Amino acid sequence: MTMFKFKWMRWGLALGLVLTLLGANSATHSQAVIAQSTPTDGIVCTTSANATFTLRTESGYVGMSDDNTVFMWGFSIAGQPFQHPSPVLCVNQGDTVTIIVQNTLAEDISLVFPGQENVLANGAPSTPQFSTGGALTSLAPVAAANGGAMTYSFVATRAGTFIYQSGANPDRQVRMGLFGALIVRPTRSTGNPDTRYVYDAGDVVYRAGKEFMVLLSEVDPYLNQAVERGEPFDMSLYKPRYWLINGRGFPDSIAPNYAAWLPTQPYGALARINPYDATANPYPALVRYLNVGTIEFPFHPHGNHGRIVGRDGFPLIDGGGADLSFDKFSVNVGPGQTWDATFDWRDNESYSESNPVPITIPNLQNMAFGMFFSGSPYLGTSGTKPVGDTAMTQCGEYYIIAHNHALFQLDSWGVPMTGPATFTRVDPPLPNNCPQ
Amino acid sequence: MRKPISRRNFFRIAGGAALAAAGMSVVPGFVGKSWLSPAQSVGAQEAAPDLAFAATDGWIGLPASPAMPPFHPDNMAPAPFTTYVFGFRNVTGLDQTQVMAQKMRAQHSAPMFWVNQETTMRLQLTNLGLAIRPDLVDAHTLHWHGFRHVIPFFDGEPMGSVSVPIERNFTYVFRPHDPGTYMYHCHVEDIEHVHMGMTGMVIVRPTQNGNTSLYPSGRYAYNDGDGSTGYDREFGLLLSEVWNEAHWDDSHIQLPQWTEYRVDFGLINGRTWPDTIAPNAPFAPSPTNPDAFTFAVARTAEGDLVAPPGAPHLQYQPLSSLIACNAGERVLLRFANLGFTEAAMTATGIKLQVIGRDATLLRGRTGADTSYLTSTVTFNAGESADVIFTAPAHRGVDPYDTYLLYNRASTHGNGGQMTEIRVYPAGALPPQTLPNT
Repeated sequence: MTMFKFKWMRWGLALGLVLTLLGANSATHSQAVIAQSTPTDGIVCTTSANATFTLRTESGYVGMSDDNTVFMWGFSIAGQPFQHPSPVLCVNQGDTVTIIVQNTLAEDISLVFPGQENVLANGAPSTPQFSTGGALTSLAPVAAANGGAMTYSFVATRAGTFIYQSGANPDRQVRMGLFGALIVRPTRSTGNPDTRYVYDAGDVVYRAGKEFMVLLSEVDPYLNQAVERGEPFDMSLYKPRYWLINGRGFPDSIAPNYAAWLPTQPYGALARINPYDATANPYPALVRYLNVGTIEFPFHPHGNHGRIVGRDGFPLIDGGGADLSFDKFSVNVGPGQTWDATFDWRDNESYSESNPVPITIPNLQNMAFGMFFSGSPYLGTSGTKPVGDTAMTQCGEYYIIAHNHALFQLDSWGVPMTGPATFTRVDPPLPNNCPQ
Repeated sequence: MRKPISRRNFFRIAGGAALAAAGMSVVPGFVGKSWLSPAQSVGAQEAAPDLAFAATDGWIGLPASPAMPPFHPDNMAPAPFTTYVFGFRNVTGLDQTQVMAQKMRAQHSAPMFWVNQETTMRLQLTNLGLAIRPDLVDAHTLHWHGFRHVIPFFDGEPMGSVSVPIERNFTYVFRPHDPGTYMYHCHVEDIEHVHMGMTGMVIVRPTQNGNTSLYPSGRYAYNDGDGSTGYDREFGLLLSEVWNEAHWDDSHIQLPQWTEYRVDFGLINGRTWPDTIAPNAPFAPSPTNPDAFTFAVARTAEGDLVAPPGAPHLQYQPLSSLIACNAGERVLLRFANLGFTEAAMTATGIKLQVIGRDATLLRGRTGADTSYLTSTVTFNAGESADVIFTAPAHRGVDPYDTYLLYNRASTHGNGGQMTEIRVYPAGALPPQTLPNT
């Protein structure tokens, strides 16, 4: 069984390589699109100088936390290999965003942009498509099967977090991976190089560079298998077996962006921050939550409330400008919704070796140790762990979990405690001796 | 280990600290061994815990009908019980012999406890092991779900922290700064241990309490500054679920396929309708069994629980969900959901004002009132909601008027998440001294 899986993984890699070579040969068809610097954690933006992106469909395989691999579709910047999820497109408010879709699949596809207005398709208003018999065929004009193309464009009038996804047979195509995140940044400046505004209204800022994504999705591998084999699939039997965060299950989710061992799943979900400090680190981090699944996912970050500052690209302020943001320890993002939350972590009790926890710490043999525990209760301190114990910490940092609390979904088709979970890594205050 | 170790499975197990616990399981014998061998004594004199909890397994009683062979009722369950659970017990004040005797006597839901804001509380957790599953050497923890800015050491998430092996204990220290309704659960093998019943409610009381100028009772859900969350009575309603197959699997050394999850029974405070309205287990507060932080339920000489009157099958489900109040009173319902599916609690004929969610007052940062009226309050897995209603005038000829409160998302009828709100004439009931009474 294992050999069988590895065989398919090799096939997937080989296919990806071939497609990469093909893509390189056809690079003249694509715009110059820049993938920004790729930090090991945080959002990886794909940007373009003129907000123009050529998205080509690709197929490939993604690894699940039970060692299974699943066939997927996705969009890649034309010339780039298959990736899952599709690229995170980052534009600025006011940009005219142009997305050229090139369809290599054997069925029509289209793109819809929930939250965007006055979308054009080949220059004409993008509207639902009907057959001559009156049946709805697509939510938007299509890029025809086997080589068709369609150009969608709109002005990104609102800052925030959005989804782009297939509008042709979305039951099947969104679940097959034809979705991605669209981030619209406000043009106004805070005047402080350390901070960025989330929206074009309100006063919510986050620390520049501390921006993370939680893109929640689900997979029924039988659907994907049927698509791969060209067989029909009865959607009434649809039943997800995998739930993913940024296209990965735990523990892959905490691997770095572009981890070499996850060649088709580039986006990590580890959030790395330093503790709040009124002078040295006063600004929160930002998490952009997106749900492309079919039910609400109640995502629970431990040790913290997210401050929900907006949903679906609308800041939580009322008509008079009053701040309606609210704190929550369960971020229950509905299907198709996006939520933006700021958060920090505060060392409220300031426990340290000189201000110890007020208990007698049991002997080593009287505790069970987690591999992401430094051996010490204190931030920045590494303590003793039992001989032979696995220690994944580097500099006394904290690992605080965040996970979906519909716990049966914290599973990969029979491997519990995988699925949509990640960590907030809290490094000691700067300067510290943590590897960067 | 119940499965062959794959690469990721190894990662998971190591992360869950089960390997370390497995190593310890071969250490024989509890008796005569010191519970704590202080290696790193950090304080000259450690304060005694305010609460002592034990983690173990046990049996509870759910409606035997509808039967679902072979999973329900469990053929191993001794009468009058039906269902295998993991759970916590309050063992505060019991001696070591009594504590050890509570193995296989877990309760569900876990004991509700409460703390005053800015008060330091020490909670000692002892792992008694699982009587039915000696092969299963899982550690346990206590994770206070929603506690802000916790350090991992006291968070109970086993990968980033420590957990409590069998026949060991560990003391968690909490000093909550934010009032509201929280929950707690074991975080080891989270899916299994939560579903098996290691779930309870935590209440943090605001520093505004005692101020009778804003509301006559001087009791509030939050530091509202204006009395808008004042209440006369409060009821904690913790929702959990039972998938019969998963519970049967654990007693029969099987492992469920969690992606097949379904809800067979919906529970409020560990009971199904109509057991939800059966009385509380008797209370017996004493100097060694105080009710400063939790219910001082009566205990036998062996330390065992005492069944509510007339309900022997509820011996290990001590908490009632019956909501009794006088006309005109303001009643606070604290909802929390540690099932795996969204709940929609509907009140028939009574308006519900949602005044808080996830231990946060519904009020914007600039003071805008964001509370809202509804007749159905929804909250998903791991979410809490604070609801206040004003009891309507008593209108019936009966001693009390009955209103139903039930989970509209549950389709299970009998055996579901339903309870009663009983409204008596003004002044009929004495003031409430403890939640859920």
